[in-house]
Amino acid sequence: MSFPELKERHVAATAKVNSLREQLKQRRHQLLDTDVAKYAKSQGRTAVNFSSTDLVCSRTLQGHTGKVYSLDWTPEKNRIVSASQDGRLIIWNALTSQKTHAIKLPCAWVMTCAFAPNGNSVACGGLDSACSIFNLNSQVDRDGNIPVSRVLTGHKGYVSSCQYVPGQDTRLITSSGDQTCVLWDVTTGQRISIFGGEFPSGHTSDVLSVSINTSNSNMFVSGSCDATARLWDARIASRAIRTYHGHQGDVNAVKFFPDGQRFGTGSDDGTCMLFDMRTGHQLQVYSQQLDNSDQDAPIVTSIAFSISGRLLFAGYSNGDCYVWDTLLAEVVLNLGKLQTSHEGRISCLGLSDDGSALCTGSWDKNLKIWAFGGHRKVI
Amino acid sequence: MTTNGERAEEGRPPSSLPAPPRTGDFLGKHRLSAAISRLNQEIQFLEEELNELEAMEPSSSACKEIFLSTEGKPDAFLPITPGPENTAWHRWFQRVRSSHSRKWWMHKGASDVS
Repeated sequence: MSFPELKERHVAATAKVNSLREQLKQRRHQLLDTDVAKYAKSQGRTAVNFSSTDLVCSRTLQGHTGKVYSLDWTPEKNRIVSASQDGRLIIWNALTSQKTHAIKLPCAWVMTCAFAPNGNSVACGGLDSACSIFNLNSQVDRDGNIPVSRVLTGHKGYVSSCQYVPGQDTRLITSSGDQTCVLWDVTTGQRISIFGGEFPSGHTSDVLSVSINTSNSNMFVSGSCDATARLWDARIASRAIRTYHGHQGDVNAVKFFPDGQRFGTGSDDGTCMLFDMRTGHQLQVYSQQLDNSDQDAPIVTSIAFSISGRLLFAGYSNGDCYVWDTLLAEVVLNLGKLQTSHEGRISCLGLSDDGSALCTGSWDKNLKIWAFGGHRKVI
Repeated sequence: MTTNGERAEEGRPPSSLPAPPRTGDFLGKHRLSAAISRLNQEIQFLEEELNELEAMEPSSSACKEIFLSTEGKPDAFLPITPGPENTAWHRWFQRVRSSHSRKWWMHKGASDVS
């Protein structure tokens, strides 16, 4: 086939793709007969009512000398690992505020960290395009540093996010600026599967975030600079199961909803969304109406659901930390406006395993632990 | 993947004999073929999804499921929550009761409780 003929085919195929996408968009719009908030209101639900003193900052974890970029809790006990611009990981006992480990990283440009399910190892990654594993029980070297026990190499771009597969200390999923996600075998350092990249259903830009389904750990969702989230089956690397459209900017954060059938997203467009995993429906948008133009809208950096799913915690670039009522799509509290709030961007947040505490990490170099300290009515 | 409506290659001299293939042309054809394959694959996926939507239920089913899934689950962050209340939820605060009054302090430093 001649070059001009190929070009014509390319043009025709591109037009067909665009037309199908438009049809899909319209058909999906027709299927949105209600959203979560409208439905909840129709059932007579009213928003969760917090008094301003209900959520309390019960700890401030100080020690990093640079912006905090990432944090992760252990499934048990009260420990947190945090990663910072200062090139260190710190392991904290969140209850006592004590630092149990401080790890000076070989590559200072760290972007993400994660705790292994058994709490014995931590993983981190960043601009070195690799994921480094540290065994917290290993003997320190001459400089008093914990040595790297394994380096997972293979990504062709920065590692933006990493998460251990729930219940499996030997499996880890990373997301990368090279537009792929990878499932790793930590013991051998080998890539088990690569999601995206050469395949057409992969992300078309940097992947920024990943969340593994705790109800079904074969499924995970990724968020990308291509403004979409994608669902993957870890056993099927050849294509994404589904692509979720709706955001107008980078999807910085993705997190599964506690029921394992939906997931939330947070984006540069300043909104959070709730998607239905199975159907792909956009079930709710969480957005504040702002008086000024969209250019000033703070971006969503991180999200987490409370253990029942009734609350959605969202961290923003302007230091706000909204507590959304997931069902009513209303902001019921702003942790960023309390006296004890952070003094900079909220870059990361996460809930303890029993759902009793929220940890926020900030560019103000601190981490904070928040818990409900008001009067609780148990029904 | 939106492209402009590109016209066919311009600038080729009208000649009865085909020009000898150049490396640049070969690579260009190869890349274009690969791009077309990817687009065709995407068309297939999109058509599958469109078919799927024909039989798909509207969003109200999922909205109802979400609504129901948040009910009945104990949640430490809710002012009103179904039980049971886990006493471990209180570990982030320490209660001290004096004989005269009920006082409690937020614990800011090290604690014996772990």
